[in-house]
Amino acid sequence: MSMLPHKNELGLYEIRLESIGGLGANLAGKMLAEVGVIGHRMNGSNFSSYGSEKKGSPVKSFIRFCDADVEIRDHSPIEQPHVIGVFHETLYKTVDVVNGLRPGGIVLVNSARDFAQVAQDLNLRTGTLAIVDALGISVEEKTRVNTAMLGALFRICDFLDPESMRTIIRKTFEKKVPHLVEPNLRTFDRGYEEVRFERLESGREDISAFRRAEPLLGYLTQEAGGLLSVVANSVLKDLSGSRQGYVPEFHVDQCIHCAACDTVCPDLCFVWEKRPDKKGNPQMFLTGIDYQYCKGCLKCVEACPTDALGDLREEHGYAELHRTPQHFAYVSGGRV
Amino acid sequence: MSIQEEKLLSPGLSAEQLTVFESGNEMAAMAAAQINYHIMGYFPITPSTEIAQYLDMMKVRGEHDIQLIPADGEHGSAGICYGAAAAGARVFNATSANGFLYMIEQLPVQAGTRFPMVMNLVTRAVSGPLDIRGDHSDLYYGLNTGWVILTARTPQAVYDMNIMALRIAEHADVRLPVIVAYDGFFTSHQKRRVRHFADRATVQRFVGERPPVAPHVLDPAKPVVIGAYMNGDDLINNHFQQSEAMRRAGEVFLEVADEYAQLSGRSYGTLDLYRMEDAEVALFLLNSAAESAKDVVDRLREQGIQAGVISPNTIRPFPAEAIRNALRGVKSLLIGERADSYGAGGANLTHEVKSALQEDKNNHTIVLSRVFGVGGKDFYASDAEELFGLTIEAMERGYAETPFDYYGHQPGDAGKKLAPVVEPMHGSTFKSGLIQVNVNEETGKLKARIPPLRALTDKPKRIASGHGACPGCGIFPGLELFFKGIEGDVVTLFHTGCAYITTTGYPYNSHKQSFIHNLFQNGPATLSGTVEAFFERKRRGEIEVPDDFTFVMVTGDGGMDIGMGSAIGTALRNHKMIILEYDNEGYMNTGAQLSYSTPIGHMTSTSGVGRKQQGKPFHHKDTPQIMAATNIPYVFTGTEAFPQDLVMKAAKAQWYAQNEGMVYGKLLITCPLNWKSEDRDGEKIIKAAVDSCFFPLYEVERGITTITYNPDSKGKRAPLSDWLRYMGKTKHLLKEENRGLLEQFEREVERRWEKLQARHESPFL
Repeated sequence: MSMLPHKNELGLYEIRLESIGGLGANLAGKMLAEVGVIGHRMNGSNFSSYGSEKKGSPVKSFIRFCDADVEIRDHSPIEQPHVIGVFHETLYKTVDVVNGLRPGGIVLVNSARDFAQVAQDLNLRTGTLAIVDALGISVEEKTRVNTAMLGALFRICDFLDPESMRTIIRKTFEKKVPHLVEPNLRTFDRGYEEVRFERLESGREDISAFRRAEPLLGYLTQEAGGLLSVVANSVLKDLSGSRQGYVPEFHVDQCIHCAACDTVCPDLCFVWEKRPDKKGNPQMFLTGIDYQYCKGCLKCVEACPTDALGDLREEHGYAELHRTPQHFAYVSGGRV
Repeated sequence: MSIQEEKLLSPGLSAEQLTVFESGNEMAAMAAAQINYHIMGYFPITPSTEIAQYLDMMKVRGEHDIQLIPADGEHGSAGICYGAAAAGARVFNATSANGFLYMIEQLPVQAGTRFPMVMNLVTRAVSGPLDIRGDHSDLYYGLNTGWVILTARTPQAVYDMNIMALRIAEHADVRLPVIVAYDGFFTSHQKRRVRHFADRATVQRFVGERPPVAPHVLDPAKPVVIGAYMNGDDLINNHFQQSEAMRRAGEVFLEVADEYAQLSGRSYGTLDLYRMEDAEVALFLLNSAAESAKDVVDRLREQGIQAGVISPNTIRPFPAEAIRNALRGVKSLLIGERADSYGAGGANLTHEVKSALQEDKNNHTIVLSRVFGVGGKDFYASDAEELFGLTIEAMERGYAETPFDYYGHQPGDAGKKLAPVVEPMHGSTFKSGLIQVNVNEETGKLKARIPPLRALTDKPKRIASGHGACPGCGIFPGLELFFKGIEGDVVTLFHTGCAYITTTGYPYNSHKQSFIHNLFQNGPATLSGTVEAFFERKRRGEIEVPDDFTFVMVTGDGGMDIGMGSAIGTALRNHKMIILEYDNEGYMNTGAQLSYSTPIGHMTSTSGVGRKQQGKPFHHKDTPQIMAATNIPYVFTGTEAFPQDLVMKAAKAQWYAQNEGMVYGKLLITCPLNWKSEDRDGEKIIKAAVDSCFFPLYEVERGITTITYNPDSKGKRAPLSDWLRYMGKTKHLLKEENRGLLEQFEREVERRWEKLQARHESPFL
C-alpha cells in the first residue's frame, strides 16, 4: 500500500520550497525528506538550486518522495510540484513562485495577510492556498522561520508522522542548547496547528504548464567571449526581496549630512544632492534612501550619530512609497 | 542534525549495512573516513569542497585519523599527495574544474612514477567564462594523465567506487593512481537513499593493509631514487609499462568489482547497460544524465521502441571491447557529451566509441554526437526524448544527416540584445578635485589632503547598485572608501571571489569602468601585463588616453594564498599598479573554508570546533609584512571603521602607483554570514579588531613604517575578547576551557604589535 496521496507519471510526489538564502529552507527540505526516507522507509531525494547565490538571494529546495521499491533517476529541478512552500512572502515580486503547480496542488505561504490578498499577489487561481504566519511565530518564540514552516508542511504532508520531526528537534538541540528544545517544539507545533487552508474555486483546473526560464541572450546576440560592453546594468535589479522584515527609516530633519551612513552602506542606497547651504556655498545633502537596493542590514542605523536613521518593521508598500530613486545617468532610450 | 540509521542485513551477504540519506560528497567522505587514509592534501573548490568539510567535521568528532592538510592551491595539494605517497602513505584528494587543471602537471608525475592514490573529481565546467556548475570539460583533460578513471552515476556508486578504487590502485598488476569522477551538484549534492557498511572494519578488511608494491623513502635500509631523469630510449619503455598497467587495470577492475559484489550485493561491470539486450536505438551518456535517460527508455519501450542506454563505469581504461559487444545490434546511437573538443567534430568519447566500433568490421551502427548540458544546464526527461528522437530519425533515414551538433543552444532574439542603461562614466566624472597629494621635500614622504567625507559623496561610486552580495557585506564599503581616494579613470581586475561573483552575474554587471576577471592564482601577473601594454601602446602612439590611468587589482584573502607567488613576482618587478586585498578571514565564496589569513582558533568549515579540535590550528598570515619585504614603495592597511585614514592612504597609493611602482593594501572587512555576526554590527566589529591591535592601521612608505592609528596612545586599546565576542565563529574562544588557546592568540597579536611599534620607532627596521 502506498503512503503517498498523489504521484506523477514516474511515481513521485514532489515538493518545491521557494525561499531566499538564510531562512533555512534548504535545511527544512533536508529534514522533511529525511523523515520520509529514514523515518518512514519511503524512497526520496532532496537537493537545492545551486549557483553562487548569497544570503538574501532566491533559492529553491526540492523534495521527491516515492514508494520504497521505486528508483529515483530524475536529477532535474521539480517543475510541476504537488506542494509549493513559499518561505518569503515578497519573493513573488521577482520569482514566479507558483510556476507549474499541479492541478489540485497546495501552495503554503509564510504570511500574516489574508487569503484574498496573498492569492492575488501570487496570481493563484486554483488549488489550495495554505497560510501560516511563520515569521510571527518565530519572532514570538525567538526561533527560526523554517521550523514553523516545517510544522505547516507536516500538516500538509499528512503521510509523515510529526512525532518523528519532534524527535529530531529534541535530538538537535538537547545536547548543546537544551533551553532551545521547548521553544522549537512549540514553533513546530504552532506551525502545524495554526496553518489555515482555503480552496480556491475558479472553475478551471487547467493550470498553465511550467514555464522554463529562457536566457535573455543566445549565440547570435551574445557578444563573443561572454564580454559585456553594457556596463552597470545591475541598477535595473530589484533587491528588496532580500530584506527580512526591517528597513532603515530616514528622518531628514534630524540629519546632519555627515555621510557616516553612506560610508558603511554595502548596497549604495543613499541618495545625495548638491545645493547651496545657508551661506550659499554648494554643499552635499542627503535626500533619502533608494529602497530598491536596500537589503535591510541596518548598518546605517548603527553608524548614524543622530536619530536620523532608525529601525522600521517594514509594512507592505512602505518602501515603494518612501523610496528616493538614485539619479543615475540613464541613457535616453536605454532600457530602464 | 543526527542521521537516523536503519540496520539492514540482507541474506547471503557477509557484512552489515546501514541505510542513510546522503549526497555523493558525503559518501566520498564516508568511504575515505572508513578507509582511514593517512593524508589528504586539499584546496577548496566548488563543488568538491564539501568532501574536505565533511572529513573535517568527522575528524572533530574523532571518527578518523586522516591528516587533512590545507594546501596553498591545488598544485600544492597534488604536491602534498605525491610526497606522502612517496613516503608510503595512503593518500586521498578531491577537486573540480580549474583546481584539476591547476594540478594537472602533477598528475602524470604521480602516474608515470607509479604511485597509487585516490582522487575524487567532482566534475564541473572549466573556466572561462567562469561557471561553477557541472559538466565534463575538466574530466576530459584527465584522459591523458595516465590515471585510471572510474565514473560514478549515483551517490551509492560514489561510495562503492571509492572503496574499490584503492584496491585497484594498489593492485600489484596496476600500481596507478585512480580518479573517481562524478557529476558536480547532480550527484555531489543531491541526497539519496544510500547503503554503507556499518563497521569500518569491513571496509578496512576489503582494502587490506597497504601492499608493499611501491617502495618508499622512509626505509633507510632500502634507499630509493624517485623520479630519475630519462631520455627517449628509456622513456618509451616506461610508457609501455604504464600502458600495460592501464590495460591490466580493466581486468583488475572486474576482479575487484566481483569481490565487492559478494560483500555488498552491488555489482559493477565496465559498462552499465540499461535494456540494451535488444536495443535498436541507444544513448551513450556519462554519469547522472544516463540515469535520467533510463526513465525515458521505459516510456519509449511502452510505445514499442527498442531503446536503451549505455553508460561506462570506467573510461580509463576505455572499455572498447564491451562497447563493441553492446552495440552489435544497435542501429543508431547518439553520444551525448557534457563538453566539447573544439574542432574535432565531436568530443573525446565520441571518437573513442567510433574508434572502438571501427575494429568491428561487421558493425553498421550510425553514430551521432551532441554536446549538451554544459555548465550545469539541466537535463530533463524531455531532453532525453529529443535526443532519442534524433537517434530514431537517423535509424529511419539510414544515415546521420548531422553527425555532430550542439543540443540546447539558442540563437536568441535580435530584439532583446543588451542595450546601454547608464551613460559611460570616465575622466572628469571621477575627479573630485578635492584630493591633493604632495611630496614633503624634507621627509620624502607624501602628504595627502582630503576633504570631509560629506563633500566626497558628490563623487560617483565606482560600483553600481544592484550587486548580489549578502546583506551587511563588508566588501563594498571597503572598496568604495578606497576608491573615494582614487581620482580619474581606473581599470580593475577582480580575482574570483565574492566581489567578482556578486558584481558580474551574466548578463548583468555592477562595474562602471573596464573590468577584467581572472582566476585567483594569476591576477597580479595578468594586470601587470595590462599595465605594461598600456605604457607600450601609449609609447607607440596607438592609444590616446590620459597618463593618470590607475590599475587596481582586487582580491580576497584566498587570492593572496593561491596567488601569493604571482603577487610576489609582480611586486618584485614593481609594476605601476595597486593590489587591494579584502580580507574576510576565509574562503567565503566557496563556503567559508579556512584561509591562511584565518586567525588561530577561529571556526570555519574546514576548521571545526568540537571534541578533537578547537578551530584553526595555526596563526594568521601577516600578508602586509610579506609584501613589505618585497620593498615596493607603498604598503598599507585600512578599514571602513576609520574612513579618513583609508581615503588618505588610497590617495597616496594612487600617487605611488602612478609615479613609482607597486602598492599593496589590505582591508579587513566583515562577512556576517560566515563570521556568524549581526549584519548591522559590521563597522563595530572591524573597529574592535583595530582597537585590539589584531589589525593595526599602518603604512610602510619607501620602507619606513608608520602606525597611523595607535589604540594604546589614544587610550582605546581593548582586549581581543572585545572583538571576538561579536562573532559566532569565535565564541568558543571565550570559554574557560579554551583559555590557553585565547592566550596563545593574544601573545601572537601582542608580539606582532610590539614589533610593529619598534618599526614605527626606527626607520632602519
